[in-house]
Order: sequence, then C-alpha cells, then structure tokens
Amino acid sequence: MTQLSFLTSKPWIWSFAAAMATWVITMLFTGGSSFVGLSQATLTFASFSIIVGLGQMLVITLGPGNIDLSVPSTITLAGTVALKLMDGQSSWLLLGFFAALAIGLAVGLSNYALIKLLRIPPIIATLSMSFIVQSSAIWYNRGLRVKPPKVLADFTTEATFGIPNLALVALALSIFVWWLLEKSVFGRWISAIGQSPFAARMAGIPVDGARLMTYVCCACFASVCGFLLASFSGGAALNMGTEYLLMSIAVVIIGGTAVTGGNSNVPGIWGASLFMFLVVSMLNTYGFGAGVRLILTGLIIITVILAASRPSARAR
Amino acid sequence: MNFKTVIMASVAMLCAAAPLSAQADTSSKKIALSNNYAGNSWRQAMLTSWDKVASEAVKSGVVAAGDAFTTAENQATEQAAQIQNMILQGYDAIVVNAASPTALNGAVKEACDAGITVVSFDGIVTEPCAWRIAVDFKEMGRSQVEYLSGRFPDGGNLLEVRGLAGVFVDDEISAGIHAGVEQFPQFKIVGSVHGDWAQDVAQRAVAGVLPSLPEVVGVVTQGGDGYGAAQAFAAANRPTPVIVMGNREDELQWWKEQKDANGYETMSVSIAPGVSTLAFWVAQQVLDGQDVPKDLTVPFLSISQDTLEESLKSTQKGGVANVEYALEDAKAVISGAK
Repeated sequence: MTQLSFLTSKPWIWSFAAAMATWVITMLFTGGSSFVGLSQATLTFASFSIIVGLGQMLVITLGPGNIDLSVPSTITLAGTVALKLMDGQSSWLLLGFFAALAIGLAVGLSNYALIKLLRIPPIIATLSMSFIVQSSAIWYNRGLRVKPPKVLADFTTEATFGIPNLALVALALSIFVWWLLEKSVFGRWISAIGQSPFAARMAGIPVDGARLMTYVCCACFASVCGFLLASFSGGAALNMGTEYLLMSIAVVIIGGTAVTGGNSNVPGIWGASLFMFLVVSMLNTYGFGAGVRLILTGLIIITVILAASRPSARAR
Repeated sequence: MNFKTVIMASVAMLCAAAPLSAQADTSSKKIALSNNYAGNSWRQAMLTSWDKVASEAVKSGVVAAGDAFTTAENQATEQAAQIQNMILQGYDAIVVNAASPTALNGAVKEACDAGITVVSFDGIVTEPCAWRIAVDFKEMGRSQVEYLSGRFPDGGNLLEVRGLAGVFVDDEISAGIHAGVEQFPQFKIVGSVHGDWAQDVAQRAVAGVLPSLPEVVGVVTQGGDGYGAAQAFAAANRPTPVIVMGNREDELQWWKEQKDANGYETMSVSIAPGVSTLAFWVAQQVLDGQDVPKDLTVPFLSISQDTLEESLKSTQKGGVANVEYALEDAKAVISGAK
C-alpha cells in the first residue's frame, strides 16, 4: 500500500521505468555486451536534452501559454558565436563561454520584452524571436564550422570515473535547478504563478520579475547547451538546434511536469531524456525502417505519458 | 606603370567583350532563384555561389537581374506562394530548388502558362513544362559500394548513415546503396540510421547503434555526416572503418589528419553547391532561345586520395568543396544531353 502511494506521488517513476525497459531490451540484442558503450552514449547524449529540458521546464511551470520556442535558435547562435570567438584557441575559452551566456541573457530579456511590453503571447513572441536569432546566426558565420579549442573538445568527449563529463555538468545543473525549485523563494514564486497568477499577484509576489528571470534562465540553459554541443560535435552547424525544439518540450512532459504549470519535476527530466535517446537506439538496433520507427516512437511516448498521468489523476 | 596600363586595358577589353560573347539577347531578362531552405552550410555555399555568378552576370549585362529568395520554413505551400509572387513581379525565368517534387507543380504550371521559364535543380519538380537539372543520386550511392568493393574484395559489414527521413534525395541515395550491395553481395548492411545530413545528429545516431553492431568495415553516407560518424567510432574506442566522406571541409580535414597519421584511405563524394550557378546559366540559355533538353544531369564532385590536398586547399575553412559553373560548362552539359 505504501509502495502504491509512493508510485502515485512520483510521476517521474514512469519515465525511469520506460528508460530502464528500453535499455534492457536494447542490451538483450547483444546479450549484454554493449553495457558500457550503450550506457555511456546514452548519458552523453541525454545530457544535452537534460540541459535544455531544465530551462523549458521552468518556463512551462509558469502556467498555461508559457513556452519558449526560441530554444533551438539560441542553441545555434550561442554555439556559432562562441566557437568563432574562441577560434580554436584554448586561451579564449572563458571569453567563448561568457559570450554564449551573454547571448542567452540577451535572448531571454528580448523574449520577455516582447511578451510584456508588446503584450504578445509567449508562443508567438518566442517564435518570432527565434527567426531573428536564427538569421543572426546565419549572418554571423554563414554556416562555416569552426573547430572547438582542444581543451574543450577533450572535456566534452571524455569521462571521469566512467561517467561522461557532460553528464556530470548536467547533474550539477539539475541539482541547482532542484534547489532553486524546492528550497529557494524563487522556486516557490514560479510554482505559485503557475498555479494562479492572480492569487500570486495578490500575495505580493513580483510576478513580472519572476517571469523575466525564468525566461532568462531558459535562454541561458539553451545557450550553455549550444556551447557544449558545438564543442562536443566538432563545430557549430546552422541546424544543430532543430532537434531540441520538440525534444525540450517532450522531456518536460514525459518527465511528469504538469503541462498546465505550477508543478515541476527535475528527476523526470533525466528519466525522459535517457528514454528519448534509448528509444531511438532500440528501434535502430532492431533495424526498423524510418516510418515504423517514427510511428513506434510516437506510440511509446503516448503510452508513457498516459501511464504517468493516470496515477496523478487518481490522486486528485 | 606600363604593366598596370596593360592590365587595365585588358580588363576594360574583357568587360566590353563579355556582353558580346554572351549574346546580348538576354540583357533585359530577369532571373529569380526560389530556394526552400538556407539552414546548413551546403545551402549557404549554394546561395553564395549564386550571388557571385548572378551579380557578375548582371554587372556585365548578360541579364538584368538575378535575385535570390529563400523561404523561412521549408514548406511547399510557402514556396508555392513565393513562386506566385515571382510571377506577379514579372520575372522571365525562375530557378527553383524545390521543397517537394510534386507539391509545387501547380505553381510551376502557372508560371509556365505565364510564359516564364522554370528551371529546377537539386530538389527538382516533376511538372513536365519545367527543366530539371537532376543529380544521379542512385549512382552516387552505388559508387560508394563499388569503391568499397575495391578496398575490401572479400566484403564485410557496412553501416549506412541516411539523410532526412521522407525526403526524395534520401530515398534515392539509399536505393543506390542497396543496389550497390546487390551488385556486390559480399557486403551486408548491418545497421541503418538517420543522420539528417548533420554531423551532430549523425554522431548521436551512430553512437546509439554502435554498441550493438558487429565489426564494421565501411560506413556509407550521404554527405555532411562522415565526421560525426568518425567521432562516434572514436568515442566508442572502436577501430575506424572506411568512412565515405561528403566533401565538407571538416570531413576532409579529418581525413587529411588520419592520412598523415596512419595512411588512412577513403573517398569523398557529394554535389557541388555551385550547381545553382549551372541552373542559372541553363535558365539564361533557355531565355536566349537555345534548344535545351528538359532533363539534364549534373556530374557530382568526388575527391580521391590523390586530389585530397588540392581540394582541401581550395575549400573555404568550415565550408563545402565547391565548383562554380561558367556559361561554357552549362553549354557542355546541354550538348552532352542532346
């Protein structure tokens, strides 16, 4: 009975269960010999989704209508600018990193300026912002790939004690976000805004300040992801962020964060990100064609979301 | 001083002679490029090449305009609307890199009915009134397997990195690769993943499937994915197979490093982004009243072990190996198709 209530109170259990199941099924194909390789690859590639997912989760927590569609273009612009500034020189590493962060800051501020000052709904504001940001990336370097500095390329591709460095970065950021949400006043604020913006305002919460901070956070997470992704894959590309638009939203939803806002879930982001990588690997490993693979991916995601949302409905 | 004057004079002569040699009939004609996507380095190089050749042609009076337009969302409906706008703007020829081989046919037909020459390339359209500059993508796939059969007469396992699922080009190249495997049955495709023609996506897809794959001797690719595949093999601590490259500078650079370090051998094949300039000259030739067959084939650009250094030198850092076509090249392609 206690176990059951534990399950119902933790919606993230389902994304981990799904990730675990796909992991086991994929390994069965090779009789377990792919244990280390598959696990490391999964942790590495899931890290990118985790980092963007954390930012998107904060925004979605703000309540209905809040979403950041400028994530992919922010990834692209941050990666492009940072790598071009560093120009392969390890001594310019900090400059590149802060340039990426500055881009995140600027995109986040502009997003909220559009939303607040021009009263444009977030979905439209961030979408139009993404066109501006993407065009800036095209204009800035015309899609030419600049190699990352050696130190950075090594850091992003290597592992410490068998755990990929990227996963450790993602873990540190996750703990920070978890602390932000669970232990800090700011986290209470954005949950309160997500549950009822009106009540939050009445309670004296600085709603606009909190929302602004959240959009800035989300853009900064995206820019850090772009910086790491470009360093990891040997250079920025104009289409490097495309994948992460739906991915960032999917990991939030599968992870058990309420789409309606007011309730976020950090562990779920991990489960969902691992799962999203593994499900593609599993279907690739078993050699399904692209069509079948996409349909199965969709069906599996629906199943996980249904499983994750049913207990919470019962709990209500 | 004297030398300078001679050069100046010859430049002036060339400028004066260029419009004459290119037949002045098209000097009042306007050509537009309708492009569906600009979000990767290949497309950027394609647009740059177009811009270079078209602006020179405008300057020397061969045509009146050579404007390029790109749609924002890579949607056929958006591109159809763009073509309709071009009809209204009074262009004499529209060069199209189409988002879909069939979905633009209505708009293309409208343009033809309005007396406009439509030349499609790379992403071609099936509408019969348009010209098509197609790439023999099947042969591009097949030739990779043929090359590998030379390297591994006994055959072995292959990993296939495909492009973007559901796109015509991806189906064609993949069909060519499978035809190649049928022709050389000593090879077996043990894994097939979609890399979306992007290094990071290819890297992720290959890394995900690699732990479950047996020994692989070769990786057949579609371009823009070879470097990512190489990175995935390196990360998994597996021996690097022969990875067919796709003419991107980072791929060639990686190949060069491997070649210098351990004598690594492979090949590289792709379409030069400058194919847009070939389409430009074909459109100009049609406007000029020349008899041009409706279906033309563009040769692909392949780089071998011997031409690697040379190609690398002429490729822009971080870009794609490229060739820009001149009027003579277009004439040669046209007469070759007759």
